[in-house]
Amino acid sequence: MKIIIFGGTPGSGKTSMIKCVISELINDYSIHYIKFDVLNSSDDELIKNKYEKVSSEKKLSGEVCPDHYTALEIPKVIRKNYGKDILIIETAGLCLRCSPYVNEGLAINVLNNLAGKPSSYGPLLSKADIVAVTKGDLLSQAEREIFRAEIIKINPSAKIIEANGLTGEGGIDIANFIRETPDFKDNLTLKHSMPTAICGYCYGNKVLNDKETALTFKKGKELKAKIPNINCGKCGFSSCNEFVRAVINNEIEETQCIYLNKKHPDAIPCNCNLEEE
Amino acid sequence: MNIEKITILSGIDKKHNPENFEAIEIFKGEKIGIVGPTGSGKSQLLYDIDKLANGETKTKRKILINDTKAELSLKTDPSKKIIGYLTQHMNFMTDISVYEFLTLHIKIREKTENLQDSEELIENIIKSANTITGEKIKKEHNLLSLSGGQSRALMVSDLAYVSESPIVLIDEIENAGIKIENALNLLVKSGKIIFLVTHDPMLSLSTDKRIIMKNGAISKIIQTSEAEKQMCKQLSKISTSIFQIRDTIREGELLEYKDVLRGLK
Repeated sequence: MKIIIFGGTPGSGKTSMIKCVISELINDYSIHYIKFDVLNSSDDELIKNKYEKVSSEKKLSGEVCPDHYTALEIPKVIRKNYGKDILIIETAGLCLRCSPYVNEGLAINVLNNLAGKPSSYGPLLSKADIVAVTKGDLLSQAEREIFRAEIIKINPSAKIIEANGLTGEGGIDIANFIRETPDFKDNLTLKHSMPTAICGYCYGNKVLNDKETALTFKKGKELKAKIPNINCGKCGFSSCNEFVRAVINNEIEETQCIYLNKKHPDAIPCNCNLEEE
Repeated sequence: MNIEKITILSGIDKKHNPENFEAIEIFKGEKIGIVGPTGSGKSQLLYDIDKLANGETKTKRKILINDTKAELSLKTDPSKKIIGYLTQHMNFMTDISVYEFLTLHIKIREKTENLQDSEELIENIIKSANTITGEKIKKEHNLLSLSGGQSRALMVSDLAYVSESPIVLIDEIENAGIKIENALNLLVKSGKIIFLVTHDPMLSLSTDKRIIMKNGAISKIIQTSEAEKQMCKQLSKISTSIFQIRDTIREGELLEYKDVLRGLK
């Protein structure tokens, strides 16, 4: 299976570009498409409606940092779709800092020419194998050249392709790079480590105050140590983080987690509450 | 890179019918007009050439350079780019001064060896741009505050001096409020191939040949005759006179009959 990751800011033209690329590859490969987003997305429907042969899905990160969430979910998606030739992962790559590209696949950054200086982009651009530059038709040639020179400064080894999702420009070139990408063998490794964000705000603190934040962090950390962190959903929340936030906000009791509720039969196999015993 | 010849290999029209020619050859030094009604595929043809298409665009045309298929690096490596492109839709987007912008572009293109040469080149670019537009550009102007005409004039001048490319594509810049003849004179240096999409009769006749577009396809090619070139000179006089009339009106003066008659003589 070839792992192909498309990253780029909202509106840069990722989905249009992916459609052009799928059209080029669909007769030769079986493809699974997944869209990672934060709150909502209908791109999986767009792909589903356009290509019968492509299986598609979306995953929304909700309360969790979107790029960490993507990295957590990729192995599961691979297991579920084992046997497909190509996995196309589209991620909103929102913070420009984590951008979970893998070494064993192809990383494509779709970059909008009109979106400001390339130097303000992090690993999303600097670690990409291919930079597909879009919306260049609206810009003077001189500025496009300056833009390209700045991309090269940040990512000297990237292949830069002028692309346009509406006309299909660049689609065939990207498709050819995908054809040359080897299947991944054993492990997937991140191109760079992702920064952490562990503080009171991660556990739902809303007041901008050092003391409050420190307190929320302490409570959150303690609770996190007790629960299994497997996002089982049996508490009614879609993630353990959301559950922790709700407990800290005094909205629910912590015994709503079945693993902390000693009366619940499922609590037994979990060893995370051994500390208490 | 020395370009002796471009070949356009036929593709398909909007209804997927094949174009009625096999190949069109265009040689160094030729100026080619592209004419036809709106939506007939003029800009698409320029686009195919700009992309050095190899059957991947919607027209399925192929473009050969010196009888061979263009390497990928010609498309992906800006330092190897052989085509200059100017359209009516292009705008400046960077928030810097004209001077800083030109300095940056000259540096990237490695046009000069020292600061003094660079300063001199910038002076020349702005001077030339000011022969194309009525409103003078100054080097301390912000790029974003330039008017449509000033922007286009600066792009033309930059294309002539900095992004020197053996092939130049121009898409309907007569609508941009610039002196188009001066602009073309600036661009047409010896040995370039120029493609010019235009609705302007005079500009169409100023070319060596013109490609006629219909339904997305190239329908025929007309060699500009001597008689047409003579007529073009007449038209040029009328056009100059209209420009003068425009200036008269813009200056707030009243138009007189003799102003109009002058053009008809």
